[in-house]
Amino acid sequence: MALSMAMAVDATSCTSNRWSMASLRTALPSSSSSSTSAAATIRLPSSRCQCLQQCISLSRSRRQQQPVLTRSFTAINPLSSLGFSDNTTFGHAFPAVDNGSRFFAMRHGRRVPKLNRPPDQRRALLRGLTTQLLKHGRIKTTRARASAMRKYVDKMITLAKEGSLHKRRQALGFIYEKQIVHALFAEVPDRYGERNGGYTRIIRTLPRRGDNAPMAYIELV
Amino acid sequence: MAASVDPLVVGRVIGDVVDMFVPAINMSVYYGSKHVSNGCDIKPSMAVNPPKVTISGHSDELYTLVMTDPDAPSPSEPSMREWVHWIVSDIPGGTNPTRGKDILSYVGPRPPVGIHRYILVLFQQQMPLGNMLEPPQNRANFNTRLFAAHLNLGLPVATVYFNAQKEPANKRR
Repeated sequence: MALSMAMAVDATSCTSNRWSMASLRTALPSSSSSSTSAAATIRLPSSRCQCLQQCISLSRSRRQQQPVLTRSFTAINPLSSLGFSDNTTFGHAFPAVDNGSRFFAMRHGRRVPKLNRPPDQRRALLRGLTTQLLKHGRIKTTRARASAMRKYVDKMITLAKEGSLHKRRQALGFIYEKQIVHALFAEVPDRYGERNGGYTRIIRTLPRRGDNAPMAYIELV
Repeated sequence: MAASVDPLVVGRVIGDVVDMFVPAINMSVYYGSKHVSNGCDIKPSMAVNPPKVTISGHSDELYTLVMTDPDAPSPSEPSMREWVHWIVSDIPGGTNPTRGKDILSYVGPRPPVGIHRYILVLFQQQMPLGNMLEPPQNRANFNTRLFAAHLNLGLPVATVYFNAQKEPANKRR
């Protein structure tokens, strides 16, 4: 008897929690979050320790978050309206505490990889990495940097696909070496003409010896 | 798309150089004391001499080993894909390539730009090739698939690949 009553109490408390979240979600505009592909569920353990579970890194690339709550906040975010977000050219960037100095234990809604650097250094790092990737075709860096640079490499290739003078100048403003921009604009239409997006591939490898940092190869597809 | 976990698919070896196959033979490759596993890093200075390759299989079967680099001269512009480094044929099963016939002598990896993949492919021969096989005139623009089709070798029975990049001129501290 007491057990059933306790369970009933639990049930009501659970349903009350669920009811509040559900009502909140229905109140806000629903977004179609990109579902992770079935590849995320393929997780075959293997004895080899490198080049595994590529599917995981690919599926994590589409960040399926709950953009619902944060999207409703972007319009009224005081920090972004003051111009604190750095690279306005490349999409919005949220500062770490946009929720009134409340720290969360989870990563909900955080879309910008900070890479442990201030914004100017971060931008310089990403510019340098994309320049080197476009120059060498395949580079080896840490996994966090590799997954952070995908966006910028894809952006550069998209600029090259459009091919106009304005896009060329925009690319020259990002990539450090002129020859690479001109070579890129020359060869991208043949190479990536049919491909829509996803111009890079990340392959995870063994960790670095000095600090056990997880490493990855990133290459142009 | 790389939805599978196989390192050869992930590293695009299957697709760029060979087609999907079922590995039938165990092949272990050693450069000095370092065992080569798929995607590991080998320094060009360590790979100057041909590796020690041991293959399993019956001793009355003959095998052909081909080593190519599909990323020549640079992975972002592989205009010389593939560049063949080594061809050995008539290797009896269960031994190593020293017992076979060297069609094309070994040239170590020398990647000028970027990180290159070096792929060792093992085919099973239907009959002894011996004198039928003449080495290709050019090492560049080699095609492993055409080579296998030309000699009726079929799909490979074993493949392994490793990465190599140019070492910096100064010794890294």
